[in-house]
Amino acid sequence: MFARRLLCSALIATGLAAAAPADARDLMVVGFGGGFQDNARKHLFQGYARASGAAVKDDVYNGEMAKIVSMVKARDVTWDVVMVEAPELVRGCEDGTFEKLNWNVIDRNKFVGGGTVACGAGAVGWGVTLFYDQKRIADGPKSYAELWDTKKFPGKRSFRYTPKTTLEIALMADGVPFHDVYKVLATKAGQDRAFTALDRIKGDIVWWRSGAQPLQFVASGEVAYAVGFVGRTARAAGEGAAYPLLWPTLLYSFDYWAVVKGSPNTAEAMKLINYMTEPAPLLALAQDWAVSPATKAVADDPAVRARNPGMVANHAEVGLSISTEFWVEYGEDLEKRFNAWAAR
Amino acid sequence: MTRTKALAVALMAPAVVVVILVLVVPLLVGFATAVRDPELRVALPRTAELLRAWDGRGVPEEPVFAALAQEVRAAEGAQALGALSRRLNFERSGMRGLLLRTARAELVAPYSMALPAVDARWGEPATWTMLRRASLGVTPLYLLRSVDLDVAADGSVVAQPEEEAVFVKLFRRTLVIALEVTITTLLVAYPAAYAMARLPGAWARLATVLVLVPFWVSIMVRTTAWFILLQREGPVNALLLALQVVDHPLQLIFTRVAVILAMVHVLLPFAILPMLGVMKRIDPRLARASASLGATQWQHFLRVYLPLSLPGVGAGGLMIFMLAMGFYITPALVGGTGDQMVSTFITEYTTATLNWGMAAALAVLLLAMTAAVVGLAVLLVPRLRARTA
Repeated sequence: MFARRLLCSALIATGLAAAAPADARDLMVVGFGGGFQDNARKHLFQGYARASGAAVKDDVYNGEMAKIVSMVKARDVTWDVVMVEAPELVRGCEDGTFEKLNWNVIDRNKFVGGGTVACGAGAVGWGVTLFYDQKRIADGPKSYAELWDTKKFPGKRSFRYTPKTTLEIALMADGVPFHDVYKVLATKAGQDRAFTALDRIKGDIVWWRSGAQPLQFVASGEVAYAVGFVGRTARAAGEGAAYPLLWPTLLYSFDYWAVVKGSPNTAEAMKLINYMTEPAPLLALAQDWAVSPATKAVADDPAVRARNPGMVANHAEVGLSISTEFWVEYGEDLEKRFNAWAAR
Repeated sequence: MTRTKALAVALMAPAVVVVILVLVVPLLVGFATAVRDPELRVALPRTAELLRAWDGRGVPEEPVFAALAQEVRAAEGAQALGALSRRLNFERSGMRGLLLRTARAELVAPYSMALPAVDARWGEPATWTMLRRASLGVTPLYLLRSVDLDVAADGSVVAQPEEEAVFVKLFRRTLVIALEVTITTLLVAYPAAYAMARLPGAWARLATVLVLVPFWVSIMVRTTAWFILLQREGPVNALLLALQVVDHPLQLIFTRVAVILAMVHVLLPFAILPMLGVMKRIDPRLARASASLGATQWQHFLRVYLPLSLPGVGAGGLMIFMLAMGFYITPALVGGTGDQMVSTFITEYTTATLNWGMAAALAVLLLAMTAAVVGLAVLLVPRLRARTA
C-alpha cells in the first residue's frame, strides 16, 4: 500500500513539475559555431538585442535533428531560432519540426533566388573544399581525381561523415563532370559507382563530424588531406597556416534560419530572422568574416565581394551546388547505405 | 499490517521506485519502441482503419483510395506527413517521393483511377499490402532489420541485400572487441591487484587512490589523452623514432589496437577493485600453511591463491564485459570505421537518422546478447554461480 501511495505521489509530483508553465526566457539562437557564429553573435544576435531590447543568447550544435525533434515532441522547446542545412530544413518542414515563416514580418523580396523556403530564410552560403598543409606537403592533389591517387599522394584523407558531399566527391573523383553528378547519383548504377570509388580509398579515410576536426587533423599531421568548411579553412590560412583554397573542389549550399515549432517566442523569433537578414547588420558582419549571405543587396555588393575573396559566391561557377531536391528525395536511402558501407 | 512490516516496506520503497523508474520503465519503453508502428495510424487514421478491414488481396476498393488521397493531402498541409514518409521510406526506398507527389497532385474521383495515374505504384498490390502491414500498429520490421532480414512484398521474411547487410557483422565485432578488452583488462589488472593486496597500509591506501583518480576524469578526456599520445606526431611515435625502433611513424590511432588500449585503460579500475577486495580477504597465513606442507611458492599460487582469488576475477570480468559491450565514445574517437560497435549505430539512429525504432531494436538485441553471454558464463563457471546466487 505504502509503496503504491509513494509511487502515486512521485508521479503526481513529476506531473506537476512538467505541467508548470515555462518561464519567459531569453531568445535562444543555435548555430554550427566556429568563427561565423562568433562574429554573428556580435553583429546579428547582439545587434538585434540592442535594436529591440530583447535579450538574445546563442548555443552550438552539430546539426543533429534529434535534439530539435525531441524538444518539439516533448513540448519543451528551449531553442527558438536554429541554423539548419537545406535538406534537413525541408524534411523538418514536412515533419512539423519547424514553423512556417511569417512573410509579413520577414521581407521575402530581399533574398537571392532559392534563398527562402516555406520554413526557412537563407542565412549564409557555405562550402567545403579540399585543403592540406603546404608546410608538410609542398605539392598536393589539385582535384578529387588526384586525391584518389593514393600512390602519388599517400596519407590519410578526411571527409565529413555523411553521404551528402562525400558521394558527390567520389563521383567527381571517378571522372563524372560536376554538372552530371546528380543525374548519375540518382541511378542505382551511379550510386554503386560512387561506393565503388570510395572503396578504393576506404582504408585511408578518417571521418570528421564537427567542423573543427578537419583543421585539427591536418594541423596535427594526423591526416594529410581533408575536405573542410571553407570559412574555417580560409580563417586558418589568414592566420598563417599554409592551406591553399582549391576552388575547383568547392561544393556549396545555403544554411537557413528556421524557427522551432512550438517555440514560446515565435513572434520575436520572426523579427530576429528579419533583422539578421537585413543588409546593414550583414554588411557589418562582412567586415569581420567572409560571409556569403542570401540577402541580395549584400551578396551582390561589389565591395563585399572584393574584400572577401574567400566568399563562396565568388566561386560559385567553378564549384558544385549541392542539390537540396536530390538530398530530400534520396537522402534517407543513401544515409542507410552509407552507414552500412562505412561500418563494413 | 504490523509495524515492522510497514517499516520494512517503507525502507524498501525508495529503492523499488528507483528501480522501476530507471530500469523497468525504460526497458519496457525500449521494447515497445522496437515494435511499435504508429505512424500510419496517426497520419492517416481513416485509411488505416479501412486497410485493416481489407482482405489484402489485389488492390483495395475505391473508398480506401479516396481516404488515402484526402488524408495524405490534409496531412501534408498540416506538416504531419514527415513521420509517415520516414517510416515507409525505411521499409521501401522511394516512398517519401511517392507520398509527396501524391499529396501535391490535383486529384479527382474516381481515386482508384487517379492515384495510379499519378504513380504506377498505386496500382501495384505490393504497395497496398505494405500499407496494410503498416496499419497494424506493431511491426517486426525493426527487429528483423537489426539481424539483416527484411519483409518481402508478399510478407515473407527474406535476407537483406548484401550492400545493406551490416548488423550481424557488427554484433559479432562488438562481441569480439568486448571479449578482447575483458581478457586484456583481467591480465593487466590481476598482477596490479595482487601487488596492491600485499602493500603495507599507507602505500596500499595511496595505490587505491591512484586507481580511483581516473574515475574523477571523464571517459571523454581519458580517451582524448590516448588520441594525443597515439597520433602520428605524438609522444609514442616520437619515442619509437628516437629509440630507432621504427624508421617512420606508425599508424597507431584509428586502429583496433588503439581502441582496445584506450578501453582497457578506462575499464581497469572496474577490474582491480573487485579483485583487490577478494585478495585482501585471503588469509596470509595460508601461504605459511602451504609452505609447511612442502608447496613451492608457484604451487601455492596455482593451487591455493589463484582459486581463492577467482571470484574477484569473475566479478570484475563480468562487469568489464557488460560495460565494454556498450562502449561508444572510445571507438568513435580513436578507432577507424572498421572498429565501430553497435552503440555507434544506436547513436546514429537516435541523433542523426531519427529512426528510434531501429535504435530501440538494436538496443534490445544488444541487451539480449550481453545477457546471454553473462548468463552462459554464470552457468558454466560454478564459482560465479555460487557468488552471484
